[in-house]
Amino acid sequence: MNALLSPWISQFLVKGQVAVLLYFLAVNGWYLILLVSSLLELRRHMLLIADESRHLLLSSTLSPTISILAPAYNEEATIETSLRALLALQYPNLEVIVISDGSKDRTVQVLVEKFDLVPVKTIYEQRIKTKPVRALYRSSSYPSLVVVDKENGGKADALNVGLSFARGDLVCAMDADTLIEADGLQRMVRPFLYATDVVATGGTIRVVNGSEVKFGRVTKTAVPSNLLAGVQVVEYLRAFLFGRLGWNRLGGNIIISGAFGLFQRDAVVDAGGYLHDTVGEDMELVLRLKRLSYEHGRPGKIAFVPDPVAWTEVPESTKVLGRQRDRWHRGLADVLWRHRGMMLNPRYGITGLFVYPYYAFVELLAPVIEAVGLLSLFLGLAFGVVDWYFAALFYLTAYGLGTALTAFTLILEDLSFHRYETFRDRLLLFWWALIENLGYRQLTVYWRLRGLWKFVRGRKDWGVMERKGFRPVTAT
Amino acid sequence: MVSVDLLDLVMLIELGLLGVAVILFFAHGLWLQLTEKRIGRYTKTARESLARLVTSGVINVEEMRGLETMPQQVQVIVFLEMSRNLSGTGKERLRFIAEKIGVVDRAKNLCQNRRWQKRLRGARILSQLDVPDPLVLTLLVDPHPAVRAQAAEWAAAQPSVPVVSAMLLLLADPATQARFAVQNALLRMGSVVAGPLRDFLKDRSGKAAEAGLRVAESIADPSFGPAAMKHSTVEDLGIRVAAARLLGAIADAPAAARLIEMLRDSESRVRAAAAQSLGRMQHWQAASLLAERLRDKTWRVRREAGLALRAIGAPGALFLRKAIKGDDRFAADMAQQVLDLPEAAAG
Repeated sequence: MNALLSPWISQFLVKGQVAVLLYFLAVNGWYLILLVSSLLELRRHMLLIADESRHLLLSSTLSPTISILAPAYNEEATIETSLRALLALQYPNLEVIVISDGSKDRTVQVLVEKFDLVPVKTIYEQRIKTKPVRALYRSSSYPSLVVVDKENGGKADALNVGLSFARGDLVCAMDADTLIEADGLQRMVRPFLYATDVVATGGTIRVVNGSEVKFGRVTKTAVPSNLLAGVQVVEYLRAFLFGRLGWNRLGGNIIISGAFGLFQRDAVVDAGGYLHDTVGEDMELVLRLKRLSYEHGRPGKIAFVPDPVAWTEVPESTKVLGRQRDRWHRGLADVLWRHRGMMLNPRYGITGLFVYPYYAFVELLAPVIEAVGLLSLFLGLAFGVVDWYFAALFYLTAYGLGTALTAFTLILEDLSFHRYETFRDRLLLFWWALIENLGYRQLTVYWRLRGLWKFVRGRKDWGVMERKGFRPVTAT
Repeated sequence: MVSVDLLDLVMLIELGLLGVAVILFFAHGLWLQLTEKRIGRYTKTARESLARLVTSGVINVEEMRGLETMPQQVQVIVFLEMSRNLSGTGKERLRFIAEKIGVVDRAKNLCQNRRWQKRLRGARILSQLDVPDPLVLTLLVDPHPAVRAQAAEWAAAQPSVPVVSAMLLLLADPATQARFAVQNALLRMGSVVAGPLRDFLKDRSGKAAEAGLRVAESIADPSFGPAAMKHSTVEDLGIRVAAARLLGAIADAPAAARLIEMLRDSESRVRAAAAQSLGRMQHWQAASLLAERLRDKTWRVRREAGLALRAIGAPGALFLRKAIKGDDRFAADMAQQVLDLPEAAAG
């Protein structure tokens, strides 16, 4: 077979693999630095919060008011439980704003019936241009609850409406089905109390699949036995515990999860709120806040706090997961394209010189390079340019360091928050970390490439997220 | 070209790393299980023993010795756990036992440690046990803001004029964390703060004055009146807002008169704060002036004026109903919304 290929093609295949391998080693080498950085950051954080008593914050009238913005679209089945859990969050000055984004089901009626809502004259201070608001409700039983019924305009539009109604100094953007731990806000607000230059903080998102949920709270954690959900547990741990935490220390955080983030309201309003025409609106907002901070000399610190936790349900079908990953990658491409002026621009400090290029070359282009590597390996094998032993060794070497780093992330989790306690969970976690690279990762490469392709073709749709629902528990 | 030998070497290193990670992961898991089991057992015994000692109020030498021999980590866990649920005599007994078995001395040593993390831990133990040791007072000037904040938290349970005076100086602390903790602590100290804070507010400006005014608002002592009047005329917007709120909390006739003047302030935030304060005072004499503010060009002022009218009661409601029928659409809409609000949401 080798004879069929011209020498330069076979050279190209072999050299391509070498380049890909070097890329893998360089990226994983950088991840190793991030891992060390996150270890140091985690240690500092754990020392800072050891034996901390947050009840003072809870009883203080001086704590900043937080407005939770919870967009909801066709959530009639879960909205009551989710909202009761939000209203029961342990924070002294809390306002909850539910924004029904043109729900076609009974979401609003359920809210009206269950929370004693009464309609009030629909006027408000429009801080950001949005789709029209149809009705405004206040509760006779819950003074801090505001419900807004608006025409459908997407999550970004719903959040912008929420920004117009928010009276809090800080706004917490979340998904209506995210389960925030009872003391999550107390923990998340700390950076705003500790420094004046913080504009946004993010907490950790964990996978709820497999765990027990009761009255909107996770009562018992467990690693899911479903392959797709299990692998995502490992992915989320890696992304939050060593990705964001590592960047925190280096001052390069530019992502706050759309499912659980806390922002300075005035900073977001001044920046123009969330953008409507992007699928990566959460990252776009943070990068814009960062950019404006450099351009106008405003505060712009983005802080990640590892201990506040929000739980989210992840897809368990390849179809839905594929759509999600495709959308995430399209979002990333779109955000980087919009802010391309920051690339290697010293005006934007570490973000322009270091963080942006990292996201462009490592996060965005990773699937392209990985696909090239896999393709050249496959072609090399097919045409006999490389033998099976070399191919297997190449594959294992390319993914081996990543697996080792993931295993170290599991240790980080174990050393710090230790949410998964049983031996079964430990075994499962390690098992998912091992087999992540055997098929799952390659699938994500395909989905991300599809996202890139769609971005190039200008697609901006969201796709549908199908939820299976939280694991029921027997009532006691 | 990469040789197989090089790949073998890289692979070997990676395998080594993976092996180390696996061993650490499972060994740590095993260690955790064993430790938790052991600590759990000790904690249960220590908790029961400590509970008996605190509730009986009698020194049982054997139980004290038993507690003393427990691992230090367990001692700290049970003492801090119990301190959160105790006050008065119970807390005094707990502190006495902690002193006898050495928890307090160890915490004092930690407070003098070179590393801020240790000092923070020491201060946390002493403040949760409410140990009145002047050593913690010295930590109010610690180089690390977290330690200063913790010392301020300790000071909340030690209300005396020297402590308050030391704390007031920290209202100008450049670290937000320490400033916030100090404000919080002063709020919890109660009326003992009034005198020193009144003197402090006389000649302060900037962030310190603003922070002091916020504390004064919660204490709401009439003696803050002159300081509130003085600060209500300064140039700094934040201070004027804080002064308006303090005047609303004091709620006497001169305060009301000044707040009515502040309804015409050039800054909307000040006008809104003045309207809010008049509503809080339920100062019905200001109803017509608040009704005028329903026509204010700023949303925030219209909103606060509307809510204030609603808070005033019948006279305010009359003005709101009149505004609905008036020619100003913005005032009419706001009045309607405020009247629509259920009682619970109108506060």
